[in-house]
Amino acid sequence: MNKYYLGIDIGSLTTKVVLVDDTGAVAARAADRSGYSGRRVAERLVEEILKEKGLDKKDISATVATGYGRVTFPADREISEITCQARGIAHLFPAARTVIDIGGQDSKVIKLLPGGKVADFAMNDKCAAGTGRFLEVMAGALEVRVEDLDDLAAQSGESCPISSICTVFAESEVISHIAAGRQKADIVAGVCASVAARVASLASRTGLEPEVVFTGGVARNKGVVNALAEHLRCRLLVPEEPEVTAALGAALLAGNIKV
Amino acid sequence: MAENRKYLPLASTRRLEKLMTRYYFLTRYHRFWGKPLRRPLAWVTSGAPVELLRAFRIHPVYPENYGAICGTRRVSAQLCQVAEAAGYSQDLCSYARSHIGSILRPELAPMGGLPKPDLLVACNNICGTVLKWYEALARIFRVPLLVLDTPFLPGELTESAKSYVLEQLKHMADFLAHFTGRRLDRRELERHMALSKETVNLWKEIRGFCRAKPSPLNAPDLFIHMAPIVVLRGTPQAVHYYRLLRNEVNSRVQQGQGAVPGEKIRLVWDNIAIWYRIFGFFQMFSERGACFVTDTYSGGWVMELTEGDPLESLAATYTEIFLNRSPEFRARQMIELIKDYNADGFVMHSNRSCKPYSLVQEVIRRRVMQETGVPGLVVEADMADQRVFAEEPVRNRVQAFLETLSDI
Repeated sequence: MNKYYLGIDIGSLTTKVVLVDDTGAVAARAADRSGYSGRRVAERLVEEILKEKGLDKKDISATVATGYGRVTFPADREISEITCQARGIAHLFPAARTVIDIGGQDSKVIKLLPGGKVADFAMNDKCAAGTGRFLEVMAGALEVRVEDLDDLAAQSGESCPISSICTVFAESEVISHIAAGRQKADIVAGVCASVAARVASLASRTGLEPEVVFTGGVARNKGVVNALAEHLRCRLLVPEEPEVTAALGAALLAGNIKV
Repeated sequence: MAENRKYLPLASTRRLEKLMTRYYFLTRYHRFWGKPLRRPLAWVTSGAPVELLRAFRIHPVYPENYGAICGTRRVSAQLCQVAEAAGYSQDLCSYARSHIGSILRPELAPMGGLPKPDLLVACNNICGTVLKWYEALARIFRVPLLVLDTPFLPGELTESAKSYVLEQLKHMADFLAHFTGRRLDRRELERHMALSKETVNLWKEIRGFCRAKPSPLNAPDLFIHMAPIVVLRGTPQAVHYYRLLRNEVNSRVQQGQGAVPGEKIRLVWDNIAIWYRIFGFFQMFSERGACFVTDTYSGGWVMELTEGDPLESLAATYTEIFLNRSPEFRARQMIELIKDYNADGFVMHSNRSCKPYSLVQEVIRRRVMQETGVPGLVVEADMADQRVFAEEPVRNRVQAFLETLSDI
């Protein structure tokens, strides 16, 4: 009988669950908003996954929890998302040496050693500028959906500069651009460029060594991907499902499955 | 369970408490004995040449140490808010804000605030903030302010820098003679300098014991037990205390006792302590078997006084303080500590309050990592203002850092 391992990533905005078998292949995954109780969302997602695969709780050999809610979930171990993210990315991209991860409230750059061990990392300070939450606030001010931001950015002729690094001040900057009659697409392009600039300065602390992988929920946004690639002047690899890579790493660590 | 790991308390701590209580008790009631004994009270910065002041029988009081007390008692945020309401910027040092807050609202402050000074002495070897802070104090209390200007040292101490500081010390001595009505007694100055030297040597010896594996002390021990070298440097009480501490730490080493039971990871600390979380913060490390075996902060008081003319010696010592030196010097210092103490990594507290200490840390971090190959973590916080401390992001970084040092 196959052994299964669970990785649970309870993030500030979304909760992700990944199930792998003992070869490290993904058997199932699920994600939803963390809401008020990330732990309850995680428990529900686990139930759904087990039902879908016709498995029982007993079939799970080990569970690792990560993300901000990691201590709330009754897992076998809790491991920081930096270690988990590194392991997940090394599994998907063995040649990766730098990981850029932009999540809900954190942006981080991780330098990897071969095999997925962390050599160094840098994270944003307490400020949420340059994170998923920042994009949500800006989308709110522009009255567009976050998922529509990349299409809009692609239509931009000339992006509006957003100079403030503070989310609150940047929002009022966006509002004054709207009041000045600037195109939505140009403002969105400016927002994406500001996220890219913020993360690029973080990357300069650890240094950028190829291959560079861009992951985390924000990596779904092509506007940010393009702005970041342009800013860093390097090729960015993006996983197919960037929001679940830390959960994948957690599952691999649960099974002690090496790259 | 690893989570229950606590570190070993020192028996000397009770003596330390007695010593510090006595010092603050005398300070608080200075008004009863200062005048009759003709011993004025001076507020001084931590890097002031206190031996000279002691030679004139001046009683020194340290607002920075008081700021640390406000931090430890978790009243800094409230006192800072008082200072901010009076117009002092939130970006100003939290020791300065706590202290100014304690003057404006003594009823909120530990010990009802510090007793009023007769004199202010500021030396800018530790930062530039002290100048403006002490100017504000001089305006509030209308008392003389003495400033010792120590030029920043991009390289080694030059003859011109030394003679510039020496000139000022001579002027300071003249002023103090006039101010106290006493003459500068060279023998008295030399006596205090000898006591300082002995204190510094004992502190150096105690710190050196931490090269042992396991280390007999962890960073919070160093931070707590450095108080006498700051406020009582140049007195027999400090020498007595550090002899006692030396014996206790030495016996720990003899018995192979570690501050953190089951020490697995050895770290070096950079920057001022996070006073309001002095135990909680380091517990995040000790519960995973990580011990801070040495640091740059409490090590700053290992400032050796050279032989020769006492004033010249003071000029050199107080100008060569590490915060008054280049990033290259500080990187070198960190590299040597890592090698000397066999450390596996280092943690830098990016202290919002202390700009000269914190601004160059990223440059130093990269250089040290490159040269030693051990990882370094930067944690953002503040020494006294607990509003700056964000628990979850800090815990997250610390955990990730310790994971890189262990086999996951």
